[in-house]
Amino acid sequence: MNWAALRLLYVHEMRMVLRSPRTIVIALVLPAVLMPLMISGSRLIQQRQTIRLDETTFEYAVTGPWADQARELIKSYRDSAEFMSFDVEEREVSDPDAALRDGRLHFYIRTLDVDEGDKAAKQAAEASVAGLDQPLPATGVPALQVVYLGSREIARAGAERMTDMMRAARRNESYAILIARGFPSHPDGILATTNDNLATESQISGSNLGRFFTVVLVVWIVAAGSIAAMDIIAGEKERGTLETLITTGAGRTEIATAKHLAICTVGIAITFMQVLYALVYIRLRVITLPPEFAIDLSAQSVLQLFILFIPLAAAIAAALLIVSAYAKTYKEAQLQFFPLFMGSLVPSLAAVIPGLKSRSIISLVPVANVSVAVREVLTGRPDHLMIGVTVAVMSLTAGLLIRYSAKLLAREDIVVSTQHEQSALEGGDSLFQRQVFRWFAVLWAVTFAAAANVPQLQSPLTQVLFNEVVIFFGASVFMIHRYRLDVRKVLGIRRMPWQIFAAVLMAVPAAQVVAVAFFRIVSIFIPTPGDLLRQLAKQIAPTSLPVWQMILFMALLPAVCEELAFRGLLLHGLRHRFHPIVRCLVIGIIFGVFHYTLFRIAPTALLGVILTGIAVMTGSILPGMLFHAANNSLAIGMESANISLSRLDGFTYATAIAVFALSMHVIWRYGKQAREN
Amino acid sequence: MQAEPSREAPVAVCNLTKTFLDESRGTIHAVDGINFECRESEVFGLLGANGAGKTTTLRMLSTIIAPSSGTARILGHDIVKDPAGVRRNMGFFSASTALYPRLTARETIEFFARINQYPKDKVEARVDALIERFGISEYAGVRVEKLSTGMKQKVSIARAVAHNPRIVIFDEPTSGLDVLNAIEVHHAIRELRDDGRTIIFSTHIMSEAEKLCDRIAIIHKGRILACDTFAGLREITGLHYLEDIFLRFVRGPA
Repeated sequence: MNWAALRLLYVHEMRMVLRSPRTIVIALVLPAVLMPLMISGSRLIQQRQTIRLDETTFEYAVTGPWADQARELIKSYRDSAEFMSFDVEEREVSDPDAALRDGRLHFYIRTLDVDEGDKAAKQAAEASVAGLDQPLPATGVPALQVVYLGSREIARAGAERMTDMMRAARRNESYAILIARGFPSHPDGILATTNDNLATESQISGSNLGRFFTVVLVVWIVAAGSIAAMDIIAGEKERGTLETLITTGAGRTEIATAKHLAICTVGIAITFMQVLYALVYIRLRVITLPPEFAIDLSAQSVLQLFILFIPLAAAIAAALLIVSAYAKTYKEAQLQFFPLFMGSLVPSLAAVIPGLKSRSIISLVPVANVSVAVREVLTGRPDHLMIGVTVAVMSLTAGLLIRYSAKLLAREDIVVSTQHEQSALEGGDSLFQRQVFRWFAVLWAVTFAAAANVPQLQSPLTQVLFNEVVIFFGASVFMIHRYRLDVRKVLGIRRMPWQIFAAVLMAVPAAQVVAVAFFRIVSIFIPTPGDLLRQLAKQIAPTSLPVWQMILFMALLPAVCEELAFRGLLLHGLRHRFHPIVRCLVIGIIFGVFHYTLFRIAPTALLGVILTGIAVMTGSILPGMLFHAANNSLAIGMESANISLSRLDGFTYATAIAVFALSMHVIWRYGKQAREN
Repeated sequence: MQAEPSREAPVAVCNLTKTFLDESRGTIHAVDGINFECRESEVFGLLGANGAGKTTTLRMLSTIIAPSSGTARILGHDIVKDPAGVRRNMGFFSASTALYPRLTARETIEFFARINQYPKDKVEARVDALIERFGISEYAGVRVEKLSTGMKQKVSIARAVAHNPRIVIFDEPTSGLDVLNAIEVHHAIRELRDDGRTIIFSTHIMSEAEKLCDRIAIIHKGRILACDTFAGLREITGLHYLEDIFLRFVRGPA
């Protein structure tokens, strides 16, 4: 390493960053102005909302056979202290649904007789998710429903208040009946339970803060570092100055290291500035902390946090440098940072998982290990040995990434801009290969945004239909059309020996057991709460649907649409990138990330790796489609029949592993023949 | 097959080859086993059409890309084994090498002098001399992004020679320039040659090659078809104009 050249290059890079008005505005000026504006704005909106709610007279109607009883309840509770500010007025309407839609009513109360109540209770039971706190409605009794349009904010707030009022009324009426029938005291007084928390306020605040501290810092470092990283390589390529720089006496290692240090400096500096802004705004009371919030950090804890975050920042900076190096232009870099952003967020959420300690295999998982170690430091329980392991793992990761980025600068297709223009001119297959990651990043963002914001996609069935048909199938067809791809080539449609399909069918049940064995081992190191897993199982296979519909929507449709997208388009786009094993892992992980519920990523990624392996071995998506459909059908069948694989003996696991390995061998052997033919 | 170059020549290119793998077109021989040498105080011209292999050759010589086979020696430094040594002794100027827009003209020249390890104590004097030589004193403190195309071209040449290299490569330096600025570039190249430097100059403009180059290599489809002085090429072909000579080699006798 030529240290003089490194210093000169670093100073040069920093000078370029500091002279960039775009960097200064985005990184320093905007956050300083935007943070108080956003906080004050949201506070103002909240205040106005509260005033508006208090000033609104909610107009409602009551329908059904128990309407008079409902009116009585409302009358007796609307003047209670709890609902004093809740101003309601009943309206006479002939068609309450129409009145809701045209805004004449905020909500209405539908009373149901016993039969209707039973029907509603059954529907509620089918739509519910196991493990939730909400009690299911009883059967054999009348029921009340508060009907409203959730898309109207005021109406929703009013309906929620009315629901609360009805529940309070029901509870009090039940208690009154009990007491009238001779219950000796108020039911709330029986087995009254209180709790006594021995943790200090600092520990509680530390635990709460520790869950999200790394996530927030990772977001800041990635966001801030990317501003510099975009300019530092992709921007240089676009301007042509990278070629000027690499014809100088400086080595590629010095150039890459200086650029890395500059990104790292900018990332840390801007993160520091953000923390400083936050402290200033807390001091100026622009940000108000909860009254019980108390963090008592010793100098040693601050030092430990610093030691943990430095290699994290270095690793993120190196990853940013790599992304920037792969991008050909500033705009392309902006698009490519999104997957990195999401990819770094997922492991930084590790501290959210309850019970996860740094003294586990998590200490070997970069970023996730920092997240867990930071939580332990903030709760006053640092594990010094594991902090050392975490810092070593992160430093090694950063070192490897920096080394890789230096190698990238020696690659002709990275540094010579004209090499890239050919594919853009040619279009078609070569352009698709360059843009395939971008497409899947956009698809992921669309599925995520749609699931989070479209109420119609809240049910598993509509979500599956949207994802499979619109996202995976629709986008695949669009990509094939847009890049004029050869469908037979993309999907590998050719005659396959029957032995491959037989081996696939043999592998499916074995794979179920192998997956259980795999996750039993993983759960030793990364404990997963049982409730969440049960809830997850329910979300994957909602029992409210008949089995044939579950097989159609949860097995056959995903098998066709997801194989088309992931093992068809994505694998085709990446066929000249990565070693085949790395390709299987990359596609498997991307497949897992699309199933973004935290605990679904790992099992789906494992399935994705197996399916990609089958597609790589056979050169076709057809065997994978069969595997996917059979695997999901089997899982649904076992769920319906309440068959659990959680208590198997060692012999069963060993047999399953042997059968799975044999099946894969057969697929590989006959797949090779099929590819050669 | 061209003759093996002399080992003593400042630039000696031996069987230099570059192949690219293109999925649709298969293996492309961008440069196909070329040999040539460049002498001291000489402007050596690489004359060829677009896509002939000029830029790929010069990029290999400047170590931006590595050859698939063969090698070249620049003042005794092998481009494969000692790329850093090559770069320290060479200046590279091409239409695709840009300047940092947020540096001033003076800062640009100073940065490239330092990064190419020009003696520290002489950097300032060297920068002053270059600013004086290229007539950019008035704009030395102005950021490059605010300079005119002609001024930028001057700063570009100054930064390419900031470390006083003995070999300077000019890859189509007048591409996109107006006549007056192109004449300025020609003038600078002649001066560098007269100062004892070896210049490798690539162009597809016949008049440029005719006026500037002491020797001309005609390159086509990655191969050097002829290499001689303009007079020598005239003698070999019996043709008067370089354009006719070029077409004779590229298309064969009419």
